[in-house]
Amino acid sequence: MSDRTAYIFLLPALVLYVAFVALPIAQVVGYSLFEWDQGIIGDFAGLSNFERMGGDTVFWAALSHNAIWVVLTLAFPLMAGLLLAAILAERNQHVIRWMSAIYFIPRTIPLVVAGIIWGWIYNPIFGLLNYMLESVGLGGWTGAWLAQSETALLSLNVVGAWTFFGFCVVIYLAAIQSIDPSLYEAAEIDGAGWGRKFRDITVPLLKNSTLFLGLYAAIEAMRFFDLVWVTTQGGPGYATEVLTTHIYKTFFLVGDFGYAAALSVVLLAIVLAISSISYFLLRAK
Amino acid sequence: MSKTSRHIQTLVLILFAAYALAPVYLVLLASMRSEADLFSGPLALPWPINIDNFLRVWRESGFAAYFFNSLKISAAVTVLVLLSAPLAGFAFAKMRFAGREGLFALFLAGLVVPAPSVIVALYGNLQTLGLIDNQIGVILPQAALLMPFSVFMMRTVMQEIPDELIEASTMDGATLFGTFIRIVVPIARPGLMSLTLIVFLFSWQEYLLPLVVLQTETLKPITVGAASLQGRYGVDYGGIAAAGLIAFAPIVVLFLIMQRSFVRGLSAGAVK
Repeated sequence: MSDRTAYIFLLPALVLYVAFVALPIAQVVGYSLFEWDQGIIGDFAGLSNFERMGGDTVFWAALSHNAIWVVLTLAFPLMAGLLLAAILAERNQHVIRWMSAIYFIPRTIPLVVAGIIWGWIYNPIFGLLNYMLESVGLGGWTGAWLAQSETALLSLNVVGAWTFFGFCVVIYLAAIQSIDPSLYEAAEIDGAGWGRKFRDITVPLLKNSTLFLGLYAAIEAMRFFDLVWVTTQGGPGYATEVLTTHIYKTFFLVGDFGYAAALSVVLLAIVLAISSISYFLLRAK
Repeated sequence: MSKTSRHIQTLVLILFAAYALAPVYLVLLASMRSEADLFSGPLALPWPINIDNFLRVWRESGFAAYFFNSLKISAAVTVLVLLSAPLAGFAFAKMRFAGREGLFALFLAGLVVPAPSVIVALYGNLQTLGLIDNQIGVILPQAALLMPFSVFMMRTVMQEIPDELIEASTMDGATLFGTFIRIVVPIARPGLMSLTLIVFLFSWQEYLLPLVVLQTETLKPITVGAASLQGRYGVDYGGIAAAGLIAFAPIVVLFLIMQRSFVRGLSAGAVK
């Protein structure tokens, strides 16, 4: 078998990938090192586009929102997924099939549509959330969830969690089902309750899945765009600005090509760093 | 486990099911509510059931076109990926050649590349190629962005095919490509099914690429259409709900029918 056959097999995938992903990445890196005027490339600018980030408060706000998003994702959908999977694992096949399908449904819904639906639930006048708060006598808690900077990011994260926790359930469930049942039986003989078994067997043995989901969540938290764009477009003010929306605005609305490219390089560097860390961590096991 | 704690656990399961389903249920109700029934509260059952919202959205706001554009774009992306990723996955899994590790690392790096990070260069390139405002300008980059995941997944699928089968076939004088078509593809069918579903799902969900590439209304897919409808319709919640439902119902139904295939694909690589 010759090398040539292998290259022919690889060719279609490689051509597409290089033309529309690898090459643009190289270009973005190149663009970030130049000055741009009205979309026309100018003088070599060294790292000056990157130096501008130091004083760009929107950039730092966006980056901190991405970071908060990671923490919130680890705190809520990941933990919920773990708990639900542990509970589900002890139920019969029917319950497992149905419940994991139900939990997974939100992930099949396009984020754009999820954003529209939830934007509506959060609507201060017609929204379901305020309606429900009022009907249980908590009228004082109502708010314009996405329009107030204190609640906007958190409210959006609830939507993100909505689309993500089912995925966590599925991943954790698959891992739990591969745990040797005799471990649980032995613990039961020793008189361990559900909480003990969860803490001493399930959680430690799922470390790899947790690691995978955590890194996956971190990468997703850096990548997401749709949800913010259809709901708040980064607002109010810059309360929900993230790196991707900052790039979008800098490129399409401001037309600052060099700086948009520099921001893209930072985004790429972060996701690639996270993915190489995960590659080595998961490989090492 | 005591009865009470089992009940508490069941309650937790149900609460999260409500969290997952409530928004979907809400949209379903709103889409079937007539204007006269609009103010009876968001959770009241719509009566009489009314499909005017669907008819209005489908006929008048060009939603039929959005829907078929999504279908067309997603189908084209899926076909492109299916024609290329399995071959590449097979090469990485079963062939030895110079530069294998390096090329695989190149694909692996692309696994996490977000569309917004390449759009700055991609947009200009598509302009140069004359592909702005052309669905091909969405289809090609979309397939390319999904390629790393697809190649990675196909490599895993192909690794499970026994070497003996491939050797036996080539020994009988079949070419490697002939072996691929006649032996490998039939065995890898469940994996190919998963790939098809996932790629279709992801391209159906894509928003940024069509948003920036397509300007003509009659070319746009359903994600962009739904978002613009939200702006245009203002307070026509019945219309927006119907539009949202049209945008996600086919995928949800497809998922429920093919659940096993979907989940296997999405968790590929996670468990391994």
